[in-house]
Amino acid sequence: MSDAASSPMLEIRHVTKRFGELSAVKDVNLTINKGEIFALLGGSGCGKTTLLRMMSGFETPTEGAVLIDGEDVSNVPPYKRQVNMMFQSYALFPHMTVEQNVAFGLKQDKLSKAEINSQVQAMLALVHMTDYAKRKPQQLSGGQRQRVALARSLAKKPKVLLLDEPMAALDKKLRSQMQLELVDIVESVGVTCVMVTHDQEEAMSMANRVSIMHEGQIMQIGSPSEIYEFPNSRHTAEFIGSVNMFDASVKHVGTEASLMSCTDLDSVMAVEGGVNALEGARVGVAIRPEKVIMSRSQPQQTQNWAKGSVEDIAYLGGHSVYHVRLASGKIVMATTTNVDRHEQRLTWHDEVYLHWSASSSVVLYQ
Amino acid sequence: MSKLGARSIIAVPYLWLLLFFLVPFIIVLKISFAEMQYAIPPYTDLVAWVDEGLTINLNLGNYAYLINDDLYARAYLSSVRIAFLATVCALLVGYPIAYAIARADSATRNALLMLVMLPSWTSFLIRIYAWVGILKNNGLINNSLMSVGIIDQPIAMLNTEFAVYLGIVYAYLPFMVLPIYTNLVKLDNSLLEASADLGCPPWKTFLTITLPLSKAGIIAGSMLVFIPSVGEFVIPEMLGGAETLMIGKVLWQEFFNNRDWPVASAVAIVMLLLLLVPITFFHRYQSRELEA
Amino acid sequence: MQTGKLSTWSKTFLSVGFFFLYAPILILVIFSFNKSELVTVWAGFSFKWYGELFRDPQMLGAAWISLKIALLAASTSVVLGTMASIVMVRMGTFKGKTAFSSMITAPLVMPEVITGLSLLLLFVAMGQSLGWPGERGILTIWIAHVTFCTAFVAVVVSSRLQELDESIEEAAQDLGAPPWKVFFLVTLPIIAPALMSGWLLAFTLSLDDLVIASFVSGPGSTTLPMQVFSSVRMGISPQINALATLVILAATIAVFIAWWIAQRSLKQTTHISK
Repeated sequence: MSDAASSPMLEIRHVTKRFGELSAVKDVNLTINKGEIFALLGGSGCGKTTLLRMMSGFETPTEGAVLIDGEDVSNVPPYKRQVNMMFQSYALFPHMTVEQNVAFGLKQDKLSKAEINSQVQAMLALVHMTDYAKRKPQQLSGGQRQRVALARSLAKKPKVLLLDEPMAALDKKLRSQMQLELVDIVESVGVTCVMVTHDQEEAMSMANRVSIMHEGQIMQIGSPSEIYEFPNSRHTAEFIGSVNMFDASVKHVGTEASLMSCTDLDSVMAVEGGVNALEGARVGVAIRPEKVIMSRSQPQQTQNWAKGSVEDIAYLGGHSVYHVRLASGKIVMATTTNVDRHEQRLTWHDEVYLHWSASSSVVLYQ
Repeated sequence: MSKLGARSIIAVPYLWLLLFFLVPFIIVLKISFAEMQYAIPPYTDLVAWVDEGLTINLNLGNYAYLINDDLYARAYLSSVRIAFLATVCALLVGYPIAYAIARADSATRNALLMLVMLPSWTSFLIRIYAWVGILKNNGLINNSLMSVGIIDQPIAMLNTEFAVYLGIVYAYLPFMVLPIYTNLVKLDNSLLEASADLGCPPWKTFLTITLPLSKAGIIAGSMLVFIPSVGEFVIPEMLGGAETLMIGKVLWQEFFNNRDWPVASAVAIVMLLLLLVPITFFHRYQSRELEA
Repeated sequence: MQTGKLSTWSKTFLSVGFFFLYAPILILVIFSFNKSELVTVWAGFSFKWYGELFRDPQMLGAAWISLKIALLAASTSVVLGTMASIVMVRMGTFKGKTAFSSMITAPLVMPEVITGLSLLLLFVAMGQSLGWPGERGILTIWIAHVTFCTAFVAVVVSSRLQELDESIEEAAQDLGAPPWKVFFLVTLPIIAPALMSGWLLAFTLSLDDLVIASFVSGPGSTTLPMQVFSSVRMGISPQINALATLVILAATIAVFIAWWIAQRSLKQTTHISK
């Protein structure tokens, strides 16, 4: 990916799609590089599927252009694009065998029988389905169908592979295994890949870059860790993982650290670095639950702490999530790892001090 | 899909139906305003060149005739009455059958459904004809009742309104069962379980859950029986005898026996107006089925 | 709905229902083998009415005409009906769609006397002003039958088309097949069983039609139902029972074949469409 990273394979330029009165996609700009695995992440109705369908050619943009490998394909029908899609339902042809399914796209290119045959065999070997070549789709399990669908969409060596909710049709246990395997296959082929999903775990574990979509717009683009650690909006922070959100007003803007006041806390609130706001401005401060530390005694620090009582505990095996009610009534979540089996854990109604470091929180302006 | 291809796929069936389904009604409407004449064709033109001027002869005489002769009013009324009562009977017979089939397991279900539909794949005429042999005075029922000695005079069954009801229910039963079944089979069983769980006895669950949710099927089935029955010709002709007055038979006689095309057209137009509401009703249900 | 053992109530309803549906047909079949002229008194087993049926040139001629019309009408209406259902299910909305869907559903319930009369008047008007069709006969019956059979085929095919996952067709396009090729390589093979049952339905409807054919037929094009109708009007005839038995036999075989095909394809595709 390193040397190819600079050259774009798929470009979305000022694309808007309207269905009657409704704008499904609003002035979206995206550049996806060669060999990248890119995820469009968002809730239902955020426009991610419409955007994907414009990449595949099933929808044409109302405004703007879709470029593949530098060529404007906005009005090119799907059957003339070098883009192939793996459908959410897999959409295998029920009246054809596994082999015939994989060969279908190659036959449309009028390749010779020998070429088709060798490519089909190579694809089936790639997804470990050689033994099932003569089966019909309805004789396969969910995971096997996904492999066939993947082989079918890779067979034509597309410039871009599109994955529409690739794991949605699988049960939960199979998902994590297939996620890794799918990434391995896609990377071994080296194809540029765009996936659409509503599942943040799926996007984070599979993609190199993730874009968060909301109401037809792209809110943030970045690597999974950037998006998790440095969300740029309340929406992104709340959409990815869980977060504690505080309303605060800016008290002092410094270069090393800035101070704010927050009525929920028993102390002043400090964040690392400067703040892009005037003193007195209202901002949001987000802190991930795993960055909140709980203790029975009052912490040494004079900033970023509050006192509360344990309201609820969700025991999740490896870790537990505590819901702590502050004096202001606000509930703050804190995660602890269950390291020791016999430790004296905090329990319901225990008095507890919460604190965190200035580098853990993120200031959000919108 | 390419614009041209899409348009031609729409155009072919569209034009066919326009020409052979819609245009004919306009012609019927036109001829219903014409006068009968002994010529070929046996009706006058509405638009004619008289004294070098275009004149339009709108003749309302046929409609006046339908109003003045109470035969027509009686025929319309009794057609609607017979069709309505027969539809109710078909519903009472058909609903339990549809319900029973929907409750069977899926393998049995398909077999039972096929058994219900099978008779309608054999000739309609022949099935009605079968009842003639059963119902007539020296027919199967009367003969067996008399030979056993329950009666000594044959009961008149053929050529009565009763026979027409029987014929309609018999011939149209599958059309009642099928839409109700399609509706019932989609009914989520957990709704019935939830109702039972909340303390509702089975009969009440049926009345408050099953019946309202199968309303669409009941309407569709009833329309499929009622609308064609109003204009039915074969059944009243073969089973109803001279006494049973139905408008389909009147139209037939007006056309084939009296050769009065304009009056027959007027009869058809009035029948169509009468059926407009139920047809619209049926269309609304059916197009939802077709597109959803 | 709940699937399971049938209750006593259900069994009773079904038995009474099926008795009502099948008893008259059974009686018809039994008496077709009756030696006696009287249709209601059993006088011994005989095939004589079948012999007479096959020596009746009018019956045979009418049967031949009816078969020809039914074959033609069924095949045409499968093509038109399939196009119509694609328009209804897959084309989205367009100007005049409501009118289109009304013209598809109305023939399902339209009283036959109205359809028959209106088509006849159309043919007469066209004959007068265009000189075509010159005379009424097989051609006009064919047109009339196609018109109402198309509606029935459209209903059967539409319901199958709705079950078909649209992304299967999209996948074919995505893999490089233009729309017309998608239809022939993917859609058509998958909905073929529905086309089969649509064809069979249209065939029997055409074969069965008395009223519409009576209006639009001309001299020399008497169909089988017309022939049967005129002979039963004269009174009951055991020859008709023999004919009825043959029709029932043919229909039963056809329906069983269609059912078997449908069951088989159902087993093949239920996994996929769900």
